[in-house]
Amino acid sequence: MSDTRPSRRSEELVLSARDVRRDYPVAGEPVHAVRGISLDIARGEYVALVGPSGCGKSTLLNLLGAIDRPTSGTITIAGRDISSLSDAEATRFRLTGIGFVFQRFYLMPTLTAAENVQLPMAEAKVPRAEREARTEELLGYVGLAGRSEHRPYQLSGGEQQRVAIARALANRPALLLADEPTGELDARTGAEMIEMFARLNADGATLVVVTHDEELAKAARRVVHLRDGVVVDDAGRAAP
Amino acid sequence: MLKARRLGALLAALVLGPGGVAAQAPWRSITIDERLAAAAGLTVGDRAVLATGAGAPGDSVIVAGITRRGADPSEIARSEFRVRLHLDHLQALTGVGDRVGRFAVATAPAAASVDSAAARINALAFGFRAYRAADVAIETSATFRVVNRFHRAIGVITIVASAIFLLCITLLKVDERRRDVGALRLLGISRGTIVRAVVLEAALISVVGSLMGAALGYGASALVNWHYQGVYSTPLRFAIVTPGIVAFATLLSLTLGVVAGLLAAQRLVRQPPLELVGR
Ligand SMILES: Nc1ncnc2c1ncn2[C@@H]1O[C@H](COP(=O)(O)OP(=O)(O)OP(=O)(O)O)[C@@H](O)[C@H]1O
Ligand SMILES: [Mg+2]
Repeated sequence: MSDTRPSRRSEELVLSARDVRRDYPVAGEPVHAVRGISLDIARGEYVALVGPSGCGKSTLLNLLGAIDRPTSGTITIAGRDISSLSDAEATRFRLTGIGFVFQRFYLMPTLTAAENVQLPMAEAKVPRAEREARTEELLGYVGLAGRSEHRPYQLSGGEQQRVAIARALANRPALLLADEPTGELDARTGAEMIEMFARLNADGATLVVVTHDEELAKAARRVVHLRDGVVVDDAGRAAP
Repeated sequence: MLKARRLGALLAALVLGPGGVAAQAPWRSITIDERLAAAAGLTVGDRAVLATGAGAPGDSVIVAGITRRGADPSEIARSEFRVRLHLDHLQALTGVGDRVGRFAVATAPAAASVDSAAARINALAFGFRAYRAADVAIETSATFRVVNRFHRAIGVITIVASAIFLLCITLLKVDERRRDVGALRLLGISRGTIVRAVVLEAALISVVGSLMGAALGYGASALVNWHYQGVYSTPLRFAIVTPGIVAFATLLSLTLGVVAGLLAAQRLVRQPPLELVGR
């Protein structure tokens, strides 16, 4: 699909995190979920974030996606510092700059597949005709061309996740983030999802995937290992 | 054979017209109301004996007409029958010549205004006081107005109670959407968009709900009227759903729906989206 393909594979940085920390102020001792992580991700990379439960993967991903704000440090995405955006600015940035795929899909249950995909485009004020054309293109891309009028309850988990991927791509984000995208799927559907991500990356998408799924991690070209809120290993990193 | 009861309470009708007092005939004519006709099984042309009480000497009469009662709320609870007869007939029957409580004077449609007629009677006839029928109706329906106020109080209590109910339901319903709202926020849908959508939905539900309620009200009041008009044999309408009531109810529920939706939605979008989806 031409839209997600970069003009050329380059070392152009999509994401740059510097000494990022995130403390959760809990009664008593605060939780240091992310303690000083620096990370560069170039355009077109496919990165898996792995590590034991509670090591801070989701916290880091939420910081990278402007869902959460770091306690300290800076995060730059597509040339924009997102570490100190206001809530409205962060919301707008999530809409147009980032595509999210969640473990539990988070489709709107009352909307059809097509309407779910159109939602972020409608919010971004994309003209209707363009919106509809792109929705058709995206649903075709994820292999759901005939299911556009189906609602989430009429779709299997794997199909719902594919709708979620189409929705994530709707506004042509610079970065696609996924937290345990195969977590709710059986092995076979999970394998389909792994293929889908590989294809997305081959077509040019920059991907960061948090996962416990070894198969999914293996598919990534770069695997970042976290432990206790710090990077302990970063295999396959693009040359600096 | 008919024995009309409580004749003393009957209201005599004085018929004015070119014929003056009706000519003597072997059978005097009377009119009876629908209730009496139904109870005694009488129709126009039937003959009956009219007496002031059981055992009293009666007078043979012919039923010349059956009248339908006006919608006077003050008469609803009275189970009495009503017979109309000529004044001289009434006087002869009761043996009381000068005990008339009130006259009803009907004016011809083209006649001078009722007000000026009443004024002239009041000026000319000593010992009489003329009132317009509408004024008399208002005076005699004082009880009804108290009952009406009582009903209004019940109505207001019902509306307030259902308004609170509606408010709570809306808050709960919106709260059921917390996960969806959280997901939308994560995807980058703005607070304003979400609040607007919730308010629009609440407004739509309120309007559709009120219109459905009004339709139900129409149906229910038709049923109530049909039933009680039969029980009391009166054309009076017991329950009325006016356009004003429908407009008031719709406006009230629309306002409440919008306010409740706004409050609930704003409460939700202020929370961090990750908390809403319950990560
Ligand atoms: N809202 C919060 N308040 C307090 N502590 C939190 C909060 N969210 C996460 N934490 C803590 O921060 C640490 C990192 O959590 P995080 O969810 O990032 O882990 P994770 O690596 O994604 O784990 P998993 O693989 O189980 O999803 C954990 O110790 C967790 O308890
Ligand atoms: Mg996690």
